Amino acid sequence: MSTAVDPRRDGVVVAERPAPGTPRPYAFPAVSKTRLSNGLSMVVADLPGRPLVSAAIVLPTGAADEPDSLAGSAVLGARALTEGTEGFDAIALTEAAERLGASLHAESGWDATSISVDVPASRLEPALELLAEVLLHPTFPASEVERLRDERLNDLLQAQADPRRRADEVFIGTIYDGASPYHRPSGGTRETVERLDDAAVRAGYRRALDPARATLVVAGDLGGQDVVRMAERLVGSWAATSEAAAADRAAVVNDSSAGTGRVVRVVHRPGSVQTEIRVGHPGLPRRIPDYHAVTLMSAILCGLFNSRLNMQLREAKGYTYGAGAGFDMRRGAGPFTARAAVNTDVTVPAVLDTLAELERMRDTSVTPVELAAARDFLVGVFPLRFETAGAVVGALAGLAVHGLGLDELVDYRSRIEAVDVDAIDTAARSHLHVDRAAVVLVGDVDAFGPSLEAAGLGRLVIERDDTGAVPGPLPDQAVAAVDVEPDAGPTAGAEEPEPGPAPEPSGGDTEA
Amino acid sequence: MSISIPSVAFTDERLDNGLRVIVAEDHLAPVVAVNVWYGVGSKHERPGKTGFAHLFEHVMFQGSAHVAKAEHIALIQAAGGTMNGTTWLDRTNYFETLPAHQLDLGLWLEADRMATLLDALSQENLDNQRDVVKNEKRWSYDNRPYGSWQEKLQAHLYPAGHPYHHSTIGSMEDLDAASLDDVKEFFRTYYAPNNAVLSIVGDVDTAAVRASVSRYFGAIPPNPSIPPLGDLSLPPTLGEQIREVVMDKVPLPRIYVGFRAPMYGDPRLDALDVAGQILAGGKGSRLNRRLVRDERIAQDVALFTLGFVGGASICAGWATVRPGVSVERVERAFHEEVERLAVEPVSSDELARAFALIEADELGALQRVEERADRLSMYATLFDDPGLIDRMLPRYLSVTAERILEVAAATFRAVNRLVLTYLPEQPRADDASLEPSETEDETEEEAA
Repeated sequence: MSTAVDPRRDGVVVAERPAPGTPRPYAFPAVSKTRLSNGLSMVVADLPGRPLVSAAIVLPTGAADEPDSLAGSAVLGARALTEGTEGFDAIALTEAAERLGASLHAESGWDATSISVDVPASRLEPALELLAEVLLHPTFPASEVERLRDERLNDLLQAQADPRRRADEVFIGTIYDGASPYHRPSGGTRETVERLDDAAVRAGYRRALDPARATLVVAGDLGGQDVVRMAERLVGSWAATSEAAAADRAAVVNDSSAGTGRVVRVVHRPGSVQTEIRVGHPGLPRRIPDYHAVTLMSAILCGLFNSRLNMQLREAKGYTYGAGAGFDMRRGAGPFTARAAVNTDVTVPAVLDTLAELERMRDTSVTPVELAAARDFLVGVFPLRFETAGAVVGALAGLAVHGLGLDELVDYRSRIEAVDVDAIDTAARSHLHVDRAAVVLVGDVDAFGPSLEAAGLGRLVIERDDTGAVPGPLPDQAVAAVDVEPDAGPTAGAEEPEPGPAPEPSGGDTEA
Repeated sequence: MSISIPSVAFTDERLDNGLRVIVAEDHLAPVVAVNVWYGVGSKHERPGKTGFAHLFEHVMFQGSAHVAKAEHIALIQAAGGTMNGTTWLDRTNYFETLPAHQLDLGLWLEADRMATLLDALSQENLDNQRDVVKNEKRWSYDNRPYGSWQEKLQAHLYPAGHPYHHSTIGSMEDLDAASLDDVKEFFRTYYAPNNAVLSIVGDVDTAAVRASVSRYFGAIPPNPSIPPLGDLSLPPTLGEQIREVVMDKVPLPRIYVGFRAPMYGDPRLDALDVAGQILAGGKGSRLNRRLVRDERIAQDVALFTLGFVGGASICAGWATVRPGVSVERVERAFHEEVERLAVEPVSSDELARAFALIEADELGALQRVEERADRLSMYATLFDDPGLIDRMLPRYLSVTAERILEVAAATFRAVNRLVLTYLPEQPRADDASLEPSETEDETEEEAA
């Protein structure tokens, strides 16, 4: 079958690219800040036309603050927050929220614990009442904590069979020193989670419970509702627990590297049709002077679809559905990770290409075209990030967690625009350490082992154990057992958008 | 206590070449969504060509007469936009969200590939995207625990020869067999303006949009002879229970349960959606409450519908079996809870809670211009009725306990049931789940 008209021949297609129109002004929403009588900070953004209101209370204490022996208690404790309060058992609480059309959620990440609710604006006050109930009167019923602990242990079992999660676990266990909390997942390991009970999570939560360090963020179409009055009524007389007042808070998170130099660690997964690749090293904390240069450098390396790594591994070679790389910025230096899942027979070439692109990022100056593409993306996409009240709350909560000012958001675009090629090149040379990057592979080593050895990338450690047991430390050093699940704490607020083709598990849609 | 959901005002017209154009203004933020649905999906694939509609979708990002390979995405991102494309059984969609002043760029890019994709087609690009797609299949299905469930669900719930029998990702062999001629024929047949809906939502002026759309798309020729798909109708139930045991690299057993369900657009599927909310919509839902919270025999549960317009939809769910619990016990409890809906009406409080959550979800989803544009395109493509964007919520809220009882009785029947049982290839030493003779009483007492 052929069409009757050749569109080009017949001149029906417009060949010239359209020029952009005049940009419309955009500003990050206006925000009002207050402090309640008990020291609680409040941040409110009225967003007319956004009728699903979002509220979150953020306690800047998380998994990085807990003792190694009780790793996972913050994450488990946050899950247990909505499992019962003095006024409601778990089911009554859930049902009360559902009657409001409210989703009530509590979670903990590395840097903070948050309790949040999304609710239609007309039911904001009763939803805030539930949020306050969860914040101030959780009971941590022993039986529910035990159930959640067992679910976490089962989840850790499941993670052993998932090559993605296995690779993430082994990666952080390889790059961080055993004394750093970052060497283990924020949700804890089998060994530590088994120790947790209601007393442990209750004690951990009480240490976090200090209004002077907490922030309540509310955004949405408030229509004249006085949320400060509501907050004063609901949480204004909340006083710090004695444990929180006495808590000894480390100023810095131990984020030290394992210091092993280049190591190549392989977890054998017989018959695996792909190899999960992780390459990287401890990265950067959120509070750094060259944050915007690093952001642009990451976009050029592997943020944009046409970034160096994705173009090489996907569009030139077809090795993968999508490559990614970036800095997970926390209070301490979270990991820098380059990642891809590649078909087994190209494992070694894909690792070599990844290392080569990281080297090139250090050695070769970015071009003005690359800079412009990344800059225009980050600047232009900024308004798209804040279409919902929940996204605005997330960003404001992120500022609170890291002690950053509103200028981080208000001036974000101008600061990105101010970065030049030199600053990006400097950021790449300062923060990418290819020579000491670890390489972690989860795949069928029988298929690529000899060529991996021949590549001579560094000290090779192959673990053939496929029993689902917890992977052990590197043979000659004290790295503790590792495990991870994706950390989705409230600190996600101040992070960068995730452009590009980051492949997502989906319910069936198949994405480009 | 109901809340008011803002209605979506839109224009709906057709160009002379058949392109349906829907525009909805929204001046809240300086952003715009451009969304194109083509009336072609994996159901249009021929035998031996499974996975082709999706592979073709990838080729749509490989350039056209005035756009180089991968440049489409580069131009959108450099304009401060996001984009993607997805393929599903009934359709393929492509979408961009942009700063509003970049609207014409999005329109021009969509028009250029709708008109001239084949000008840029090369064997090299096809081969490259074939490799990418094969890695997508490995990543999303083959190298993932329980990853084969979706393919098996479709293969069992739809008979061989039915266009829903195979998955959208297709088979490796068929992907290998895809040729340049296949791409050309598929493009000429299905990627015509009269087989597409273009929706634009955001900070735009409708008259200006109309002028731009006409300029970029107006002269693209239609295909007057798009072949009809034929009769997809099916018996409403499977007629028998189908069971398959799958050995996989998984630590915990999991059961997947699937049913044939009413077609998308049928009000009975609305009732089944509400039933799904009541069964598995949150931690107070029935399956969660019994299997996860009270009896503690499952690690997690799910139940949902996948709506399709040809023959039958799917209602499916799963439960992951906790260590030391028998698979049979979990399966029995799952069936009991689901089938209870067919004999006992849901309470008015359960219904009210489900409605409140559905309302809030709708309110949240429709805040985003991308979602509004996609819904308008979807309702126009599948039902010739974009106005459903305002009427679906009232439809859900008009579901009654009686309608749920009826649809549950028709759907949740043993003779309409597929059960996939995933078992660990290597059971752990302490795992009693594979021993039917386990001491169930003990477990039940512990849970009580």
